[in-house]
Amino acid sequence: MADLTTKLGSLTLKNPVMTASGTFGYGVEYADFYPLSDLGAVVVKGICMNPSHGNPTPRVAEVSSGMLNAIGLQGPGVDKFLNGEQYLPFLRKSGATTIVNIWGKSIEEYAEVAAAMDGVDGIAALEVNISCPNVKEGGVAFGTDLKMANTVISKVRAATKLPLITKLSPNVTCIADFAKTVVDAGSDMVSLINTLSGMAIDIHTRKPKIANITGGLSGPAIKPVAIKMVHDVAKAVDVPVIGMGGIMTADDAIEFLLAGADAVAVGTAIFTDPHAPIKIIEGIDEYLERHGCNSVSEIIGQVNY
Amino acid sequence: MPEVGEILKNEVLKGDYYKVVFYVPEICKNTKPGQFVHVKIANLRDRILRRPFSICDVDVETGELTVAYKIVGEGTKVLATLEVGTVCDLMGPLGVSFTPTKDDEFPVIVAGGYGSAATHILAKQCVTKGVLLLGARSEDDLILMDKFEEANFEVRLSTNDGSVGHQGLVTELVEQIIAENTDNKKLRFYGCGPTPMLMALGKMLEDKGYECELSLDHLMCCGVGACFACVVKVKANNEDGWRYARTCNEGPVFNSKDVYYG
Ligand SMILES: Cc1cc2nc3c(=O)[nH]c(=O)nc-3n(C[C@H](O)[C@H](O)[C@H](O)COP(=O)(O)OP(=O)(O)OC[C@H]3O[C@@H](n4cnc5c(N)ncnc54)[C@H](O)[C@@H]3O)c2cc1C
Ligand SMILES: Cc1cc2nc3c(=O)[nH]c(=O)nc-3n(C[C@H](O)[C@H](O)[C@H](O)COP(=O)(O)O)c2cc1C
Ligand code: FES
Repeated sequence: MADLTTKLGSLTLKNPVMTASGTFGYGVEYADFYPLSDLGAVVVKGICMNPSHGNPTPRVAEVSSGMLNAIGLQGPGVDKFLNGEQYLPFLRKSGATTIVNIWGKSIEEYAEVAAAMDGVDGIAALEVNISCPNVKEGGVAFGTDLKMANTVISKVRAATKLPLITKLSPNVTCIADFAKTVVDAGSDMVSLINTLSGMAIDIHTRKPKIANITGGLSGPAIKPVAIKMVHDVAKAVDVPVIGMGGIMTADDAIEFLLAGADAVAVGTAIFTDPHAPIKIIEGIDEYLERHGCNSVSEIIGQVNY
Repeated sequence: MPEVGEILKNEVLKGDYYKVVFYVPEICKNTKPGQFVHVKIANLRDRILRRPFSICDVDVETGELTVAYKIVGEGTKVLATLEVGTVCDLMGPLGVSFTPTKDDEFPVIVAGGYGSAATHILAKQCVTKGVLLLGARSEDDLILMDKFEEANFEVRLSTNDGSVGHQGLVTELVEQIIAENTDNKKLRFYGCGPTPMLMALGKMLEDKGYECELSLDHLMCCGVGACFACVVKVKANNEDGWRYARTCNEGPVFNSKDVYYG
């Protein structure tokens, strides 16, 4: 067994494989499949201040080697997440390392949610999803405007002492610039990529396949884009990078590590096979053994040009 | 929970309808009426999602699980080509099951399309033998009547085009059953089929005050409640009066009184 321990700043994980927000619910849904504590971390579905319905249906459409989703951010709200039996209290009992993904409709809401999580037992870190529309600024996503991205992370930083991960949007011209600005604003690390903006039309009814008209593309279709962005970002900033986007197998995960990711997240693959994250952990271990590596850190960023 | 299932049989039922039998003893042991399996169809290239199918029948002794399916797209097209001996990965049994009828109740199953597949185990397990009201566009879409007759259910049919049975909507057969119930049997309804049909049925029975459960299905991804893709509106104690419930783990079976019809 190679040493899979992964250090992301002040955050130490058992291994470099976590779940991607929104694809693993709140953990409880998969607790019968394997111990959640076997994962590097469980990243829960996005939490905002108040309960919200999310988008109308249909919310998903399958496309070649991937899927579009516009779930919207249906969720229980902060209070219920912190106190409801099937949410954080359950994760605490399970022994999982829990990372809470947060979002808001305004900068104030982001800060408010972050403050509510500060100092709560059982939360290892916050991941800030900045791919949400700023309702007050005409719906431009926080994560696609350099100034807004900086402001929202500064405010969240001021609201919490928890390790802060900023989840970057790929729907920008130069993602490395966004990585730099959120690190300047106090983000301890970055994760990428969130889904790519996309659309699909049913040619028989001539209607968009999802009710929201556009949605986020995920799955194997986006992997080469994600690898390139991780590679760019890892070169641009000195903080830990969590890579994701289309990881289905251990080979995919290793590709991200070689590109410069310090850890990875598995998302859509969980829909294909709930055991995917566990198989990926095993596969990374085998690869390290086969290549005579003692620890996962030996392959990070080791792409040969 | 996932189980690798070898295909023991895969054959045409009628027209575009097929029946596939998997060897999955663990899933069989735990199956209750109205539950489904989430199938990763072998040899389906460039598709990442599983396909949900109602469990039509199980044999606990032999470990055989039957799914009746209609070819509607790429996944079901490929499923129909899979030969005996091929293995698929199945998750299940998933979802909330139907409430069995009590001894003093008379079951009325109202089904459309593959809804007869989803309710077949229910019919087999009912103590009191009731009636199946099966509706579809035309005769070509009516399946499994023989299975319900084997389970000693009376079968009444309706088709939109009148090719067989009553010409019109299956809900009209429901009115008929209610009108015929002069000896005041305690009717308990179960519905499974296209959403518009279930909404009409649920609303009608709610107004009349009958017990009714509806199996509401929707496009699914994870099948276990994690992704919130598969939601339908149910009544809720909030300012809107409704919330989105996940059909895969809060359903697919809902009490018709809980469904939001607005
Ligand atoms: C709980 C549940 C139980 C089901 N039980 C059965 C069953 O017993 N027998 C059966 O034949 N089918 C059943 N279905 C529907 C079945 O899952 C779909 O027909 C199948 O996923 C289509 O896959 P495909 O790749 O062939 O089609 P796709 O190419 O994915 O889609 C083809 C067409 O079918 C529609 N479709 C896809 N999924 C669904 C869905 N879930 N519900 C309604 N329409 C859909 C699409 O919108 C599209 O128009 C069930 C669905 C659910 C959610
Ligand atoms: C159904 C679904 C829901 C998602 N919900 C969230 C979310 O709530 N917050 C978030 O930051 N990312 C969300 N994502 C994005 C994923 O976490 C991930 O960044 C993206 O899907 C790419 O990884 P993948 O290809 O492995 O799925 C969601 C993705 C999917 C498919
Ligand atoms: S299919 Fe994922 S929540 Fe129902």
